[in-house]
Amino acid sequence: MSTRSKKSRKELRETIIFTLPALLLICMVMYIPFIMSGYYSLTEWNGIAKNPKFIGFANFATIFSGKSNFLNSLGFTVKYTVFFVIFSNILALILAVALTQKFKLANLYRGIFFIPYIMSMTIVGFIWKFIFTQGLDRIYDILPAEFLKLSWLGDPKLAFYSVSMVGVWQGLGFYIVLYIAGLQAVPKEILEAATVDGASGTQRFFRVVLPLLGPSFTTCIFMSLTNGLKVFDIILALTKGGPGTATYSTTMQIYQEAFTNNNYGLGSAQAIIYFIVVLVITQLVLKAMSLREVEL
Amino acid sequence: MTMKNKKRLRTAILVIVLTIVALIYIYPVFLMFMNSFKPFGEVVADAIALPKEPTFENITYVVKKIKYGSLFMNNVIITLTGLVGIIAFSSIAAYILDRNRNKVSSVIYTLIITPMLIPFQTIMITLLKAMNIIHLDQSKVGLGIQYWGFGIPMATFIFYNFMKTIPKEIDESAHIDGASTFRTFLSVIFPLLKSVTVTVIVLDVMWIWNDFLLPLLMVNSSNKTKTLVLAAYTFVGQMNTKWQYAMTAMSLTVIPSIIAFILLQKYIVEGVVAGAVKG
Repeated sequence: MSTRSKKSRKELRETIIFTLPALLLICMVMYIPFIMSGYYSLTEWNGIAKNPKFIGFANFATIFSGKSNFLNSLGFTVKYTVFFVIFSNILALILAVALTQKFKLANLYRGIFFIPYIMSMTIVGFIWKFIFTQGLDRIYDILPAEFLKLSWLGDPKLAFYSVSMVGVWQGLGFYIVLYIAGLQAVPKEILEAATVDGASGTQRFFRVVLPLLGPSFTTCIFMSLTNGLKVFDIILALTKGGPGTATYSTTMQIYQEAFTNNNYGLGSAQAIIYFIVVLVITQLVLKAMSLREVEL
Repeated sequence: MTMKNKKRLRTAILVIVLTIVALIYIYPVFLMFMNSFKPFGEVVADAIALPKEPTFENITYVVKKIKYGSLFMNNVIITLTGLVGIIAFSSIAAYILDRNRNKVSSVIYTLIITPMLIPFQTIMITLLKAMNIIHLDQSKVGLGIQYWGFGIPMATFIFYNFMKTIPKEIDESAHIDGASTFRTFLSVIFPLLKSVTVTVIVLDVMWIWNDFLLPLLMVNSSNKTKTLVLAAYTFVGQMNTKWQYAMTAMSLTVIPSIIAFILLQKYIVEGVVAGAVKG
């Protein structure tokens, strides 16, 4: 055997040996359960019976006939995600610009906005539940503004905004630090050159800084998109999906279908559709953004 | 008004506005801590008033009731187990995949990072069943091992991108000295990965420490895997209107994260940014 092929065989052997643990672990918790989900989505199964009953695509028919709450929950999740992406990004960008100005204690302020992000989302949900149910009435006594008197968790329409607002509050710090990193990467020379050319502060921001933030936008929009689509903990703690099913996210719907209603088959089918929806949306957005970046 | 004064005034206004916004922003967190020091009557009477007679009774009650010490240790064990495995298996996989580039390695790389596209909720139903079969659902270490599988894709991706920046000449000279591939990785390459390892540690600790859904799924099999967040969730559910105890349990749950953040702000923020930009 030539030394060359001996070397490449050794390389191949090492490639497999050193990546095998990683591959096996991933298969164990991701690929195998994923394939199992695919199989169970074609069955009727209560999670306990030894043999799930094969029923073909009946679960999918149930879902698309609108008999389960799944399509509703998907609608909520999309609406929530749109709200979450828009407000997270706009507010984070404004705050990032403010926090990159030169003033004392700027670091302390950055830290303050980051604190909700390091807290567990479940706890965040509970804090706001406390504020909505106990705090607002007391604040109204001091500051009689009508909106404080509204039933923020009891009214289905308002509950959507409450949940979304809390979601934005929790995650905002993350997007702020990403935008700050982007703003700090804008070369000083370019800004100075623009100033020399007589550009005002606003002009400089919209014409020079904003276009250069392209990569930050891509990252932040993509991250907020995937985080929005996965919303679960905050809602479970804050409203449990209520009032009624007004704030049921898809992830919660899947969870309840399987573990509360014991419809493991139907739950698996919902999980598969959810996976496809998430994949399609994220890939489309990613594609749209990469096209835009080329144009710029 | 001169230019300089105008600029000063603008900064002053900005700082004032920002201070108000920041205070409102952090107020809910403050409210949670404050109500932990109030007796039941005071919380019900006025949720936003400062405690008239601050008490530590809530804290001693909750610490004992939820067995805070042992929950804290559960979190430490699960997080550490997860972390060690993720770093060990991802870094070596990324190393070998970067150094030996061929058809097989590119297929393996794709297989390793593709799960980043699979949301956890897609597989959670069947995961419980699968973990039950192989008995990883009933112990802290078992839970930690599950995190290996979930954390490896992202960590490998981050390590892999960093590996390109380490010149191959470094390992070639170690090879000439007779070191095996594993030896080279361990004593030459791994120490060079310090900065990127910090990124992975920050991201994974924040994730595993606060993770809720996986412990929630697994806790039905055994109480031994109960984490801080999960215990707080069930405890708050049971407390109903006893908000003073609920607020205390919640405060105790987030205080380790907040202390860690105050001490390590620079590393945490840098890690989070690096992780997002690369991921």
